[in-house]
Amino acid sequence: MVTTGVKRALGAAALMVMLGGVARADTITVYTAYEEDEAAAFLAEAKKALPDVEVKMLRLSTGDLAARIIAESGNPQHDVLWGFAVTSMVDPRISGGLEAYKPVGVEAIPARFRDPGDKWFAVTGYMAALCVNKERIAAKGLKMPKSWADLTDPSFKGEVVMPNPASSGTGYIQIDSLLQMMGEEKGWAFLDALDKNVAQYIKSGSKPCNAASAGEYAVGASFELRAIKNIAEGFPIAMVIPSEGAGNELEANGLVAASKNKAAAKKFLDWTVSKAAANAYFSWKAIVTIPGGTMPDKFKAAGLPEDVSKVLFPVNFTAAANDRTRIIETWQKKYNR
Amino acid sequence: MTAAAHPGEAPAPTGFFSSDRFAGYLLTAAVLLPMLAFLVLPLSAILLYSLRGPGGIGLENFTHTFGAPRFWTLVVNSVVMSVVSTVGTVVLAYGYAYGLARAKVPFTGLWRIVALLPLFAPSLVQAQGLILLVGRNGVFNRFLGFDIDIYGFWGVVISNLLAAFPYAFLILSAALAVADGRLYESAEALGARPLRIFRTVTLPATRYGIAAACFVSFTLVITDFGNPMVIGGDFNVLATEVYNQVIGQAQFGLGAVIGVVLLLPAALGKIIEKRIARKQHALITAQSKPLVIRPALGRDVAWSAFVVAVGVLIISVLAIVIVASFVRLWPYNMTLTLRHYEFDVQNGTAPIWNSIFVSFASAIAGVALAGLCAIVVQKVRTPLSGPLSLMAILPSAVPGMVLGLGYVLAFNAAANPLNVLYGSFALIIILNVYYNHSQAFLITSTSLNQIGGSFDEASTMLGASMTRTLGKITLPLIWPTLLGVGVFYFMRSMVSLSAVIFLINPSTQVAAVSVLQLSDRGAVNQAAAFSVCIMAVVVGCLALVRLVLVATGHRNITLIR
Repeated sequence: MVTTGVKRALGAAALMVMLGGVARADTITVYTAYEEDEAAAFLAEAKKALPDVEVKMLRLSTGDLAARIIAESGNPQHDVLWGFAVTSMVDPRISGGLEAYKPVGVEAIPARFRDPGDKWFAVTGYMAALCVNKERIAAKGLKMPKSWADLTDPSFKGEVVMPNPASSGTGYIQIDSLLQMMGEEKGWAFLDALDKNVAQYIKSGSKPCNAASAGEYAVGASFELRAIKNIAEGFPIAMVIPSEGAGNELEANGLVAASKNKAAAKKFLDWTVSKAAANAYFSWKAIVTIPGGTMPDKFKAAGLPEDVSKVLFPVNFTAAANDRTRIIETWQKKYNR
Repeated sequence: MTAAAHPGEAPAPTGFFSSDRFAGYLLTAAVLLPMLAFLVLPLSAILLYSLRGPGGIGLENFTHTFGAPRFWTLVVNSVVMSVVSTVGTVVLAYGYAYGLARAKVPFTGLWRIVALLPLFAPSLVQAQGLILLVGRNGVFNRFLGFDIDIYGFWGVVISNLLAAFPYAFLILSAALAVADGRLYESAEALGARPLRIFRTVTLPATRYGIAAACFVSFTLVITDFGNPMVIGGDFNVLATEVYNQVIGQAQFGLGAVIGVVLLLPAALGKIIEKRIARKQHALITAQSKPLVIRPALGRDVAWSAFVVAVGVLIISVLAIVIVASFVRLWPYNMTLTLRHYEFDVQNGTAPIWNSIFVSFASAIAGVALAGLCAIVVQKVRTPLSGPLSLMAILPSAVPGMVLGLGYVLAFNAAANPLNVLYGSFALIIILNVYYNHSQAFLITSTSLNQIGGSFDEASTMLGASMTRTLGKITLPLIWPTLLGVGVFYFMRSMVSLSAVIFLINPSTQVAAVSVLQLSDRGAVNQAAAFSVCIMAVVVGCLALVRLVLVATGHRNITLIR
């Protein structure tokens, strides 16, 4: 009989392991699309500030996470959506699962970075940046580009890589900001000219910078953090913020309506707009919408101006989200890529 | 073995219970029920999206997709690329397997493991290896003065050749493992030349294996989006379009339409399989003598050269990544360092332990379910055998992300009693079993098809029941193959990602996800280093199993048949 008891206990223990443990009362699950290392740094700060809340974090890329949230929408598994691209957040299948909540101190965020219905608020963001391989442009005798327009020069033919807007949010925001900036007619004409020099549209927002860093191509259009990191890593690249104004994307937070632990989830969201959080954001993010902290020296060394608002193009995010399907279809038809 | 899982069945009277018919249906149910729950249900859940358009239920998504000229370009791209990759893969893998089975090539065991290397290297590593080797700034161009541009059609074909090679090899190796020595002796006695013997004896005897290898390679490359994404440049295929729709734009409906289109090759493969299986004659019968390979210098040197050439190609792609993982900043700063092995990713290297547990469990469950499925389809004839064998090979026609999202839809639903599994390792293990089911099923089937019916007949005539025949005759003959299937499952479960990514949660992180996290955040070299650790673990586990085999007196059993 003893052995049966032992067997049962073992079986129960195995079942517990298989089913992934039992949730504690103040445990919340947070889904985030922040890059893994910045998410880990922010989370460490959050745990310091909220010792009584256990935060379980799942990090996936924006596209993977959006697909997962939509598929789970019948029975959501998370309490908080954190650091998630606004142009995906406004998708009714995702914002529909959120509940209006105004965290303590949310007024510090300018109103244009908040949902009018209070379902989400954006505290951080990222912007378009070009990674230029110094070794390769020297070898090919190219001029260091300063703008998108410089990349249309015939000398750059086959040396530019961009993210594919059909698969990458970064890619979409790059072309959409140009279309918003120039108006669609001029904008498409400009993209036509740019397209002649593009060697390939890579299906990820960060890979073009990695390809330029590896010396596969001279210029990779990507976003600022990837450029800064690759410079710090030692790759012979320079970061160029296009002088026309950089397209950008905001990363927003929101409360999941189906959350079973809203008190703890709200505590976490309150923290995301706190001074302590702002300080953590500033050491990783070029775009922070709340006051606090200062830009780290490596950002400045990489070429970011202290006041980034001067180089940012004021993107209309709602329009960007609404136009997405139409613009991507037009883009695919025109360039057949 | 899973019979106990159906408490609904009333205890049958002893006479009926022992009857072959009843046992046949019981075995069929043991395979069919989990398949309905864990394959058909999730697939239906996601494919139903293809009927959900902006204007309600209907064929809108289909007409929209089929009406676009872009779609037909993608179909042509996909088919041409997949045919070229498949032919290349099967020819190379057949030669490799043939060389190892039918000539005296030194270090056979080593070359078998080399053939499987691409299986347990995360696909990310292989694409990276190819770019480091033959990219625009790769070794050939930068250091050896070539001017290769790998991105595009040929890049995809080459990376797919590498990726599909081990699958084709495993099947063809099972097909070539056994042969009836008498046939070869009489052919030689009749004065037939080697080429003629190959054409009239070897080739017909392995036709089921060849067809299965073609099917597996074709469905594998036509549904894979990883390689075209990394090395395809602007060469787009149907699978990358599924990725664009589902991950890029969260359009499940349009993605599901292409998912449905990709099922066609599986249906086609099923028809071909049936025709070929009918013509296949068994190689091993009760009177067979094992084929003894006698040394022949010219032949052995030629095949050794071929095997070494292919093997070195496979090794070099991985070796360069391993070397790069020990270098400070490839290709700019070549000083050696261990800094990429200081993993600062979430949970560090702990997810590797989760992966070992998950992979080991997947191997056991996979051998049991896929192996039993093959036995039921090949040896137990019931009216359900046909539909069962179609379902068995269906998973290879499904892109991983489609199956993964199907699992979310099916098992996260509050109405599904199985939803207790959601968020657990158990569901990840089950997903691994069914995601890799086709290959495991076909490897086992190929092996079963080499065993003649005369064994079964003899056994039955001597009064043995079907279950006894299976236990006493069939299992002992194919258990080395089943061991290989277990190894296959273990390797695949250690690294496959595209489906699993939708099921992991903060408590069930596996190693392949860590690799993705590192690569996503740009730490490419750390990602490679992490992959090297995974590969080392797999090799270590193989060595351990080998030790156990030797210690228990099974020295002659190879892990990979």
